[in-house]
Amino acid sequence: MKTASLLAGLAAAALGILPAVAQEPLRASLNSDIRSTQPGGNRDANTDAVTLHMVEGLVALDERATPVPMLAQTVEVSPDGRTYTFTLRQGVTFHNGAPLTSAEVLWSLRRYMDPATQWRCLPDLNGRSGIAKVTDMAAPDARTVTVTLEQPAALFLSIIARPDCGETAVLHPSSVGADGAWVKPVGTGPFMMGEWRRGQFVELERFDGYASLPGERNGLAGGKKAQVAKLRFVVIPDSSAAKAALLAGNVDVLSEVPAPELPDLRRSAGVTVMAAPTMGVTALLMQTRDPLLKDARIRRAIALSLDVPELVTAMIGDDAPANASPLPSASAFRSEAQAARPTRDVAAAKRLLAEAGYRGQTIRMITNRRYPNVYDAAVASQAMAAEAGIKIELEVLDWATQLDRYTRGEYQMMSFIYSPRLDPSLSYEMLSGPKDTQPRKVWEDPEALALIGRSMTTTDTAARQAIFDELYKRFMDQVPMVILYNQPDYMAVRRGVQGARPWAGGLTRLWNVSRD
Amino acid sequence: MTATYALKRLAMAVPTLLLVAVAVFALLRLVPGDPAQLMLGDAADADQLAALRESMGLNHSLPVQFFNWLGAALRGDLGRSLSNDQPVLPLILERFQVTASIVLLAVALAALIAIPLGTIAAWKQNSLLDIAVVGGATLLLSIPSFWLGLLMLLFFGLKLGWVPVIGYVGFGENPWQALLYIVLPVVTLTLIETGVLTRMARSAAIDVLRLEYVAHARSKGLREFTVLRRHVLPNAFAPTLTLLGIVLGNLLGGIAVIETVFTIPGLGRLLVDGIYARDYPVVQGTMLFVAAIYVLVNLLTDLLYPFFDPRVAAE
Repeated sequence: MKTASLLAGLAAAALGILPAVAQEPLRASLNSDIRSTQPGGNRDANTDAVTLHMVEGLVALDERATPVPMLAQTVEVSPDGRTYTFTLRQGVTFHNGAPLTSAEVLWSLRRYMDPATQWRCLPDLNGRSGIAKVTDMAAPDARTVTVTLEQPAALFLSIIARPDCGETAVLHPSSVGADGAWVKPVGTGPFMMGEWRRGQFVELERFDGYASLPGERNGLAGGKKAQVAKLRFVVIPDSSAAKAALLAGNVDVLSEVPAPELPDLRRSAGVTVMAAPTMGVTALLMQTRDPLLKDARIRRAIALSLDVPELVTAMIGDDAPANASPLPSASAFRSEAQAARPTRDVAAAKRLLAEAGYRGQTIRMITNRRYPNVYDAAVASQAMAAEAGIKIELEVLDWATQLDRYTRGEYQMMSFIYSPRLDPSLSYEMLSGPKDTQPRKVWEDPEALALIGRSMTTTDTAARQAIFDELYKRFMDQVPMVILYNQPDYMAVRRGVQGARPWAGGLTRLWNVSRD
Repeated sequence: MTATYALKRLAMAVPTLLLVAVAVFALLRLVPGDPAQLMLGDAADADQLAALRESMGLNHSLPVQFFNWLGAALRGDLGRSLSNDQPVLPLILERFQVTASIVLLAVALAALIAIPLGTIAAWKQNSLLDIAVVGGATLLLSIPSFWLGLLMLLFFGLKLGWVPVIGYVGFGENPWQALLYIVLPVVTLTLIETGVLTRMARSAAIDVLRLEYVAHARSKGLREFTVLRRHVLPNAFAPTLTLLGIVLGNLLGGIAVIETVFTIPGLGRLLVDGIYARDYPVVQGTMLFVAAIYVLVNLLTDLLYPFFDPRVAAE
């Protein structure tokens, strides 16, 4: 008996079970390793998710992706709409204990505006993309920072709050070495950098000096609290292995759960699956310069041949509604006017096809298997279109090749997934433009482009809403693409994990999350 | 004599490696897809793309890119990863250690099981035992590694909870934990390679058992066990050794499927991730490294051959 106990004790100690339980980090899955720890630099969605636990910007996106103050206590815009004055919150400190002042904000902004930093969002703020041009940045006192733009820009705050811009995080200068090379993020977030074992995991540690905003979590803003001492993002590329890891208790949170794993996880006791529609768009693109598809009647016939609500329900159940608008269903600007979509009408589709002289020519639709929803959408729409006599042939490519063909505009049809655009102007901008210079753009309508341009400089909310409603009418009339839905972000957690919730912005947020 | 032979073989490897370098470089560039595009995603505009390509050195002509890379490679510098800016050679060496620890263990175990098993099956040819061994080996050989891996993972990791389902710990860090983490990948790989090696060992032993010197040994009145141990096993091992070399060369180049299923940060996953990300320096460096490993393992196999078959040395 004694021997058995001893052996069990030894085994447990060897396995590291006994002492490990109390210190075990909260573990969340990542489907690939992060690219760097540099906010808005060499990044992808996983990189954004991890770094935004450590850093914060002057403003951050709330639950509906609207920018709200984060490190700024207030944001004031001058009457001419050109100067933004940020007054900083008091009592905020960096991970190294230094207090947050306007000097660090100015240092961070200047670093981002330096092309050598290779900040992803520089073109949006130096006038190159035509969205905004920063002409001056100043720190009149220790708590105030001003940013002046050449022209008013409705998107300015949205851009600096964007997760892919790293929230334009305010960093302490010790984040870089003496030579200016990146070291690690010394930010103001609820967690600080721990260990990054490449290809295996990234571990963050609780920042005990974190100064939280009052109130509840609100998107990437609001009250934040590190409920666990350590947070570990574990790299698990294979979705089946990730599912097994969750079920076996090797991870606590499974983010971005792939659709094929959902049924099993939903049936599993001790696991809760949650879904929230994101701002990403799943759509069927049509090349309006294609000899066949340049005829709007054929494009309209394709749209009419599809029962999109049925298709969406078959693919994802009630996890996200069908949405015909480029504006995500979670957007604050998605009005009633943008909910209108024609119902399926196979007879009308056939009539339009006959009028256009369609004689059963094959239309090739590119898709991929990296994103199962994109592939499923292609297969389902192929079958539905066939009922109207439209012959669609699928061409399955790897994602890199599909993205290349998208960028070159070399396709007839394409089942595609757009990454989230968190401002309504950008939701339209992502698909509109002159194809001669930007072949990736799907919708080529000079009047629509002018409207989008106006929406970027108009700061009045009602006026912007009217512009987006007008854009939607034109979009539905010309049918350059069929938007299906905003893909949901799925998150699965083990029993005992409290407070985890997916978000429309699609990033895993593990502050305010605890484990029993 | 052996040293001259080894040097000759190594010299012969140089054009092979050069050919591999050219082929990998050319094939990678032929595949559509652009690392800068992948990094920027669907939001990339032409200016951003051009700037990133410039910073990655992708705007130079292909010959310039190739010779820049080759020149650096000859100095031992395989470049930096386009995805995470890490130097490629240390990345490869780090990942190779992980792969090698699994592969060497699995192949050694597979050889220890397969060679005696194949020899005994050959000795008892057409018996029930032989049929069972051949059937088992064929079954193991036919099972896809990812499927077997997933079954192992679900049964031992999930259902029984004996071992962790994902992750990796180095032997230097915690040997016991390391063993727990690699036991499933090692067993999976061992089972699959046992199938291949058993069939080879059996077939080689059958050939040897038919030879005159075996009949002579038996007629001298030697015990069957002695005949097998002294005359059959060593002679039948030589062809199996060749196969072992090939298997080892193949596996050391990366066991991408096993590494992906068990979340092992090995060389195979580095290569696959590199291909998906169009991370040219990583893919080129890894392929060159794999080719070098292949050449070295085969050279070692050839050098070991005379120990098991002295006729080769005599020739």
